[in-house]
Amino acid sequence: MRITRRDFLKAAAAAAVAGRLTPSALAALGRTLRGEGHPRVIWLQGAGCDGCAVSFLNSVHFATVDDLLVNTLDVEFQSNLMAAAGDLAVSAAQAAAAQPGYILIIEGAIPTGSAGRYCMAWSNTTMEAAVQTTAPNAAFILAVGSCAAYGGVTAGAPNPTQAQGVGQLLGADARLVNLPGCPCHPDWLVGTVTYLLTNNRVPPLDAHRRPLSYFGVRVHDRCYRRHQQCGQPTFATELGSDGCLEHLGCKGKKTYSDCPMRKWNSRGPGEYGVNWCVGSGGPCLGCVQPTFPDGMSPFFVYSARPEAKD
Amino acid sequence: MPTTLTIDPVTRIEGHLEIQVTVDTVGGQQQVTEARCAGTMFRGFEIVLAGRDPRDAALYTQRICGVCPVSHALAACLALEDAFGIVAPDNGRNLRNLVLGANYIQSHVLHFYHLSLPDFIDTTGLLDASPWTPRYVRPDLIGGAAAATLVQHYVSAFTARRKAHQMGAIFAGKLPCVGSFVAGGCTQQVSAENVAAFRTLLNELRAFIQNVYLPDANLLATAFPAYSQLGQGGGNLLTFGAFDLNAGGTSKLFARGRRVNGTPAATDPQQITEQVARSWYTPASGNRHPSVGLTEPDRDRPDGYSWLKAPRYGTTPYELGPLARMTVNGEYTRGISAMDRILARAQEAMKLANAMNGWLDELVPGAPVVQPGSVPQTTAGVGLTEAPRGGLGHWLSIEDGVISRYQVITPTNWNASPRDDAGVPGPIEAALVGVPLDDLSQPSEVLRVVHSFDPCLACAVHAVRPGRQVSR
Repeated sequence: MRITRRDFLKAAAAAAVAGRLTPSALAALGRTLRGEGHPRVIWLQGAGCDGCAVSFLNSVHFATVDDLLVNTLDVEFQSNLMAAAGDLAVSAAQAAAAQPGYILIIEGAIPTGSAGRYCMAWSNTTMEAAVQTTAPNAAFILAVGSCAAYGGVTAGAPNPTQAQGVGQLLGADARLVNLPGCPCHPDWLVGTVTYLLTNNRVPPLDAHRRPLSYFGVRVHDRCYRRHQQCGQPTFATELGSDGCLEHLGCKGKKTYSDCPMRKWNSRGPGEYGVNWCVGSGGPCLGCVQPTFPDGMSPFFVYSARPEAKD
Repeated sequence: MPTTLTIDPVTRIEGHLEIQVTVDTVGGQQQVTEARCAGTMFRGFEIVLAGRDPRDAALYTQRICGVCPVSHALAACLALEDAFGIVAPDNGRNLRNLVLGANYIQSHVLHFYHLSLPDFIDTTGLLDASPWTPRYVRPDLIGGAAAATLVQHYVSAFTARRKAHQMGAIFAGKLPCVGSFVAGGCTQQVSAENVAAFRTLLNELRAFIQNVYLPDANLLATAFPAYSQLGQGGGNLLTFGAFDLNAGGTSKLFARGRRVNGTPAATDPQQITEQVARSWYTPASGNRHPSVGLTEPDRDRPDGYSWLKAPRYGTTPYELGPLARMTVNGEYTRGISAMDRILARAQEAMKLANAMNGWLDELVPGAPVVQPGSVPQTTAGVGLTEAPRGGLGHWLSIEDGVISRYQVITPTNWNASPRDDAGVPGPIEAALVGVPLDDLSQPSEVLRVVHSFDPCLACAVHAVRPGRQVSR
């Protein structure tokens, strides 16, 4: 019943036709996929909610998650999916980390209070220690979700566990790519993994180490709600009605992501999503920004300084 | 000679869980004689909530859990509506039920195929790479053609659960983590188009549950008869009820109720307390009703072994979850065991998918979706509902127009609770006693029983410091 790699290539080809992958990148991808062994991934989960892993399971636009897991990647440690538990799982993580060249995915923040004991990766090993020991041999490090990237809601004031994002913990690191979001969009993750595999370098990043291709344009600038009626700006005055949500607290003016175009929960390969927060009438929370949540809340209150770029 | 085995991490769950079992030979059979269940991650979520705008509660609390964010958003909305004195309009209520139902289906399918099934099948020759290797090889695993079919379903279930999320996002904005749930209803307006799109996916999922999921669950029950006896636990069941069918929520798809050793009993949420004798919190944090809950972490507490408190109804531990919902409502009568949890979950998915079809019919395009409300200066509210893995409660107090106290008790809080003040083990701890374990290096038997509860650990650890104002 094994799914062939051709399915993944087909999806990648569709992406290439749609201008999302260059032909040379596609060729490189094919070489990677035909090569000996599969790209290796170690996926650690710290102080978070596993929501980014669940979001990853929704991947279909660039590739389906079953295709990625069965045919494309060797996900050598991923707590939600792996067959092994306990000592056998830990030995898998340790064996994987001993062989350099993997993509290290970190989900969830890293508590540093109480000597790191607010979050254990596994028996007698704090999340902080697990990150410190798996980072050196990683080819690339992806901080997936706002908790891993910048601390996120886990580090919300007063940050009871002194939780940190990966960049804060490890310091400046050329291998690090931040893929924030609460949760991270599966396309941002799968698209970035594809970029790493085809180019063997990190993609062009903004000042917060986010890929410009996904986080380069302000949400408000591409939001259809601004001109919902005949090209004139209209403002919603109560929840559940039409119009721009700015006066109801929307943070789209200080948030940079492609949510308005990409949307969420894609229908199929190469397709965009069925809806998004603002599309459903909820204000943008600014969940991809480094100052989320404290700099973005109260969520339903109009922000006096909407133009500020965090 | 008793031996101790520690399983950390327990994988194929949500969050960070450590299981420690004592194994000894009883009546010629090596088996678990004692178990300890420990949550090993603490975020202090409710400390973060104190001092914030109450209306933000639904957006914050759903980030407690990436598997059941919808349930947290709904519990917070219900608590806020209780506090504000408002009720969601019919459209708002039905939209929220449909999103919650969509997330139940994705959660139940994920649990059966991706979290639980690998404990029961031999994937050798079918899935021979990580994350399915390394793996346990037990003599009782399903092999051959049946395993090949189940692995095929394991793969197609990725698509089914993705479509369940896609379906929910039509009214939720996105999943996981809902954009549209607010105090007073759901901001997504209803149109003939979005109702039709939802219905198309629902029909696909109903077919999947009917033709694939239910038969596979029954197949498992037939192949592993011992698990209809193993993992029984304490025998008490509790459900808060969910899926309101009218404006006040007096009628629900799943009614509130209890079973005390098989006997129905009335349910009064005021009887709930949390105990902390074996939890990493100060003694002052114990024996409180959640409306006056206090949680002060103390990682160095002697005798503490878990970040979970021990919620009790009266002084008694209760099991929460699909089996409790289905049994209390008379929909399931087969028994209480590891396999019964798996079967009740599958049957619940079917019942729910059918009910959702009716709620779709009730949606009225263009009719109101949100009842506006305003934040009182001083008030309190309670939101009781059900997450896929069991009853969920949010208790909220507002002072000076901001959150002064927020307390959450999740189903895994109950199911994975440590021992209480009287030394009585929690439901998972109790369910593991008597489980045979031949090979300590391959503890599949223990994992099967633990997984039957579908534990969700990020949900289960939380804390609030009452009256504390947050400066930022």
